[in-house]
Amino acid sequence: MSVEKQIEDAASAPVLAVHDLRKKFAETTALDGVSFEVRPHEVVGLIGENGAGKSTLLKMLVGLAQPDSGSIELRGKRVKMRGIAQAGAAGIGMVFQEQSLIPNLTVAENILFGAEGAAVVGGVYRWKELRRRAQVQLDKIGSKIKIDAITEELTFAERQLVEVAKVLATEERTNAEPVVLLDEPTSVLDRDETEVLFAQIERLRTRASVVFVSHRLDEVLRVSDRVYVLRNGKTVAECVPGDVDEAALRRMMIGRDLEGSHYGEEDQLPVREEVRLSVRGLSIKGVCEDIDLDVHVGEILGIAGVQGSGREELCRGIFGALATRGSMTLDGRPIKPGSPRTAISADIGFVPAERRREGMVGSMSVAENITLPHIGEVCAGPVLQRGKERRLADEWIERLSIRTPSASAPLGSLSGGNQQKAVLARWMVSDSLKLLILDHPTRGLDVGAKSEVYRLIRELTASGVSVLLMADSLEELIAMSHRVLVMKDGRVTDVIDARAGDKPAPVTVLERMI
Amino acid sequence: MSVTDKTGTFARLGDPPRMTQSARRQLLLTVMPIVVLAALVAAIAVANPNFLRPASIWTALDSAVPLMILASGAMLVILCGGIDLSVAALASMASVLVALWIPALGGWAVILVVLVCALAGMLQGVVHVVAQIPSFLVTLGGLAVWSGIALVASGASTIGVSGTTLDWAFTRLTDWRIPSAVLIAAGLVIVFALVLQLTPVRRWLISIGSSEPAALLAGVPVAQTKIAAFVVSGACAGFAGVMLVGRTFSGAPTLADSLLLPVVAAIVVGGTAITGGFGGIGRTVIGVLIITVLRVGLSVAGVDPSYEQIFYGVLVIAAVALTIDRSKLPFVK
Repeated sequence: MSVEKQIEDAASAPVLAVHDLRKKFAETTALDGVSFEVRPHEVVGLIGENGAGKSTLLKMLVGLAQPDSGSIELRGKRVKMRGIAQAGAAGIGMVFQEQSLIPNLTVAENILFGAEGAAVVGGVYRWKELRRRAQVQLDKIGSKIKIDAITEELTFAERQLVEVAKVLATEERTNAEPVVLLDEPTSVLDRDETEVLFAQIERLRTRASVVFVSHRLDEVLRVSDRVYVLRNGKTVAECVPGDVDEAALRRMMIGRDLEGSHYGEEDQLPVREEVRLSVRGLSIKGVCEDIDLDVHVGEILGIAGVQGSGREELCRGIFGALATRGSMTLDGRPIKPGSPRTAISADIGFVPAERRREGMVGSMSVAENITLPHIGEVCAGPVLQRGKERRLADEWIERLSIRTPSASAPLGSLSGGNQQKAVLARWMVSDSLKLLILDHPTRGLDVGAKSEVYRLIRELTASGVSVLLMADSLEELIAMSHRVLVMKDGRVTDVIDARAGDKPAPVTVLERMI
Repeated sequence: MSVTDKTGTFARLGDPPRMTQSARRQLLLTVMPIVVLAALVAAIAVANPNFLRPASIWTALDSAVPLMILASGAMLVILCGGIDLSVAALASMASVLVALWIPALGGWAVILVVLVCALAGMLQGVVHVVAQIPSFLVTLGGLAVWSGIALVASGASTIGVSGTTLDWAFTRLTDWRIPSAVLIAAGLVIVFALVLQLTPVRRWLISIGSSEPAALLAGVPVAQTKIAAFVVSGACAGFAGVMLVGRTFSGAPTLADSLLLPVVAAIVVGGTAITGGFGGIGRTVIGVLIITVLRVGLSVAGVDPSYEQIFYGVLVIAAVALTIDRSKLPFVK
């Protein structure tokens, strides 16, 4: 048989075929008819808003959830997955977004974890054999990671490669090429690491099929051979990257055109003269040094930088959550925030990136979360005025159209976008808010919710609030900001003008970051 | 499964079922203690109808007072996510100190002892907050320290108290023969309830107990609130020690030691989450009543009091097993 014929045969028979999967959780329909195919050596992109069903689908493919109906066929045979171990044995492996490696084991132990085979005899490791077998897997992806390194000492990107190697280790056991599921693999990688990962995916496809799930449409278009779009638990489109662009994908994902521009650039007002926050010579031990910055009234100052540039710490320092040296003035008056509490009383607000962990108290009600930082304003003396609190909460639920059964519903029960609006509301309730620090305010939100958050930020700045912004993508950062402050290795490398109508190209900012 | 569950990757789709689950848990935590209490009372009443006579009820309530006072304070610490294991030892120390000081200071000894115990609580709170040492460890160390001080101060013996200084703590009032201690405990519970219900303190405790990083970034006075919880817990322990001296007419270095487990049992059986962030004084009252009725019930049933600790031990574990919100814990240590 000719090589071409083989390839053709392989191409016609999908490795993985999913047909009409459906799943209901209590009242919610998670999947409502999902079908797709993965052919040998193919990279298939899977996109959809939060709640479109991507996670449920992946969960089913590795046996962490069972479909109510529909079928999963692997190499032409119908399979029922009962758990990660079984899925792995059948040749489907998943690289988890948050990673599933055991931090204090070596790379070799992790790669063969649970599948040591002949590397364990009578419950005892045969280290030489273990290392040899693990090295084979790392060689497949051409990685230079040391096989004896302790996993937690690796960078995030390196650990991700270890996960890939772990999935590839199923190859020998099944005598077939595996299907590798990558769940949002680039979400915590910086640009260089992303490039490395993409190179790995190219390598990976010579010996496996890949399903690439991401919310970054540019990446999906770049690496995928075909893209499936999920919406409301259904596959609504299958397309080939050459035929569509990001805007088209975004439309398919949300099922309608976004009104106006995504970032509301047309609403960006010119910056006023007065300086709101002035930082001079700010240092945080071991993180950043000698930072100067000015934020004007009504200005959005974007802060760009890769992981480890010190930008997150800088923002926490300004909010008093980290100890700093140096001086700061707010509206000309010197301030010295020693704790978030003092920063808040100086009319500074902070929206952290990890909403569920740091941004809100999920078990407390929407109203209680909204009033928590400024609880004094709904108190008469030491006594809480519940009526007043309720009215204030209702007012903001209405103004920000927060979708909640009531002001007394636990905030944790709302969707991500509505939670984030409530978190923004807690700072917006204060008429005297001067500076709002936003650490990735749209992280984990779907496209529609992102637009709403952008609009709220625009409204805030129009009313004179100044904003320090760190964003998920450079595109978002540049579009939202008046100026972009670029940081690298704990120092400011540049301040780039980004006024409306004269936005810099992302590469201009990027060059100063790395 | 354990690996993926804590990641949050799948938390999103777990949300709808988990909400009903947490709602069910809250209902369980609210309704169950009351049902259990009613069932226990009914069972004892059937076994011995005399139990429902006012005299027996007042006596039972009277015996619950030291436990109630200790549990009220310790509950605050648990609500903000910590635990105070030193309360019983601190109450024992208080009993020794008050017995030693009454001859010289009279009634002032009571105030002084409560202040000393509040200070002891504050010390534990400051060490916990400033040095970032887990509260169970700080208070376990504290337990040993306060026990040691009580032993040294008392010369390892029981110190009798004569005179009328503490009569107010163990007497019967009015024609109804209401124990004074019950009124005092009720007053304390009402003060707790008012403070928790009317002021932002409860918000602070609960936000710290649910999610300390979030509380900190929302400007909640985290350190102050936690230290204050330990201060109140210490003061309550001191006051409980005084009340015990009032009824035994003596102070002793191990007088209250056996109350530690019942205190924790009362708090969790009442429905306050051992992981923090959920609970309150009303639940603690119910929990204390359950423990008290159980103790009375065991004696009505003719069970040797030596078995009591076994019951409390099993009860604590069972109550936590039934009610703990495992989704809050990344893993159990």
